[in-house]
Amino acid sequence: MIQATGATLEYSDQGRPVFACQNIDLQVSSGQYVGILGPSGSGKSSLLYLLSGLKLPTSGEVLYNGQNLKEMHEDARSRLRLKEFGFVFQQPYLLGYLSALENVLVATPKNNNPRKALALLEDLGLGHKSHRLPHELSGGERQRVCVARALIAEPNVIFADEPTAALDHRNGVAVVELLNRLRGGGSLVIVTHDPTMLTEADRVIRIVEGAIQRTDAVDRGVAV
Amino acid sequence: MRPKARAILRPLAPSTYLLRNAGKTIPLTGVIMLAVMLVSSIIAMIDSIPYSIRVIYGYSKEMMGLTPRGDTYQTPKILADISKNSPVPIGREMIIRASSSQVRSIVGKWPFVMVGLKQDDFAYYLARQNSKGIEGRLPKAGAPEAVVSKPVAKNLSLKIGSVIQGPDLNESYSPQEVKVVGIADTDRWLMVNSIEYQRANHFPPMDLGMVFAKNRADQDKLDHWANKHFKRQRAQVWAYYKVEQQTQDMFKTLFQILNVVVAVLAVVITFMMGMLMNIYQTQRLVEFGLLQAIGYTKRQLVRRVMMESIAVVILGWVFGVVMSYGMLVVAKKVLMDPNAYALDLFDQRAFNYTVPIPFAILLCAIGTVYFRFLKFDPVSVVERRLV
Repeated sequence: MIQATGATLEYSDQGRPVFACQNIDLQVSSGQYVGILGPSGSGKSSLLYLLSGLKLPTSGEVLYNGQNLKEMHEDARSRLRLKEFGFVFQQPYLLGYLSALENVLVATPKNNNPRKALALLEDLGLGHKSHRLPHELSGGERQRVCVARALIAEPNVIFADEPTAALDHRNGVAVVELLNRLRGGGSLVIVTHDPTMLTEADRVIRIVEGAIQRTDAVDRGVAV
Repeated sequence: MRPKARAILRPLAPSTYLLRNAGKTIPLTGVIMLAVMLVSSIIAMIDSIPYSIRVIYGYSKEMMGLTPRGDTYQTPKILADISKNSPVPIGREMIIRASSSQVRSIVGKWPFVMVGLKQDDFAYYLARQNSKGIEGRLPKAGAPEAVVSKPVAKNLSLKIGSVIQGPDLNESYSPQEVKVVGIADTDRWLMVNSIEYQRANHFPPMDLGMVFAKNRADQDKLDHWANKHFKRQRAQVWAYYKVEQQTQDMFKTLFQILNVVVAVLAVVITFMMGMLMNIYQTQRLVEFGLLQAIGYTKRQLVRRVMMESIAVVILGWVFGVVMSYGMLVVAKKVLMDPNAYALDLFDQRAFNYTVPIPFAILLCAIGTVYFRFLKFDPVSVVERRLV
């Protein structure tokens, strides 16, 4: 499904080349749950941006279902993200003037289904707060709305970039469990620095200084 | 109980943002409204000066005045020439006299003409000036009496019995006190008295001519023909189209200056609005970054900002026009009407002047957002580098 080959993300810091990701070879198969683990500044978020098309590799390539993301038009990449991918970011970013329910609907502009969005919020324990504005929700509740937003379009891949960073451990575990439970047949790629969040992952990739250091495969009956 | 799925189906519709962020959109709309109101009111008030001239001398739409040149006895010959050669049927030719008087305007006193008519011309003249009747009576032949129209009476605070010309009125001089004996019910500005009184009391001792086309629609054609026909001749033609031309010439420079002032004002307002829009959109970078990150294209986001800006600008413009109209209604009622000063509430030019402002603001807003998006990286938002 997603295939990274020699993917490198290099940028210049005051004329000095810095490698956010170096020569990454990685495959995420359909339905697979992949955890990316590493210390702060190790390049794990950059890897997630490369895999999701939010950043393009400076060398190497990232393919999604055989399509090279770098060769796609920017608009086509955007449409791909909207239709095929779901995102949960470190911070529970919501549009402050929209209710929880409307924030979920933002991710399905052409196929709005408030009932489905409400059902998702109910699954996430927020059915009774669906009409509240973001400032009326706690941090954990906001992040659960973000989870619903990532799931509403039934994406093929869900990317979660440190989704537990702004939460306490209990809420963090709950959010990761919800993502895993509600993703259906979609793949899940979670970036975190906390290994206890990845107990259900099929594979855990450890990344240090932009390079994959080790891959731990767990056989759960899916392709590794 | 399962909660009802109530939500707007298009959460990113421009109206949603504008309505739910009234604290931000109302000030923006208000600034545009004030700008439109300011420009249109200034132009409408200044336009009221030439408009007043057209209204005050509007009586000349109905007829053509003729004065002899170099020979005070030319008038009958001139009228005979017109009768013979006119390209349009003539309704009436009159021998008249004229003396000077004055009316008040928004920019001070304006000269006005007291027309001396023969007794059997009064009814025709007043009828052609749309008079629906007369309060009081017509002036008697040779008597120091006059009829004025309603706007003149209002403008000079005249009633029946008031003195309109007299030995004490330097700018409306007459050897005897000429009293108002009738007020004609018409919107036209008129002062008429008897030709006999004028012949006996006013200088110069010269009869003038007045010619009415039989059909009102032909008057302008007759005026232009006469002006051409009597070119280099001993006759001077006075017609409404000349009033129009002279008014345009008179105010040409003033309006050129006004154009520069309005242009500077528009640039200042646009620059100010551009900065406001810039701040306004900068506050929304997190929103744009998030939407772009989850898959909205730059084009979609720019289009959304454009639709929002169009809505704000249209609202501001419409409110500005309505407020401006309201302000002009008040100005007309409080300031203009009591003195019969003219003010056009539907001054097309004033509203035309307001059109470039919303367009300039719109271009500025869209340009600002477009250039921001050119190098905008949504990752900078989701990584909290821009928050």
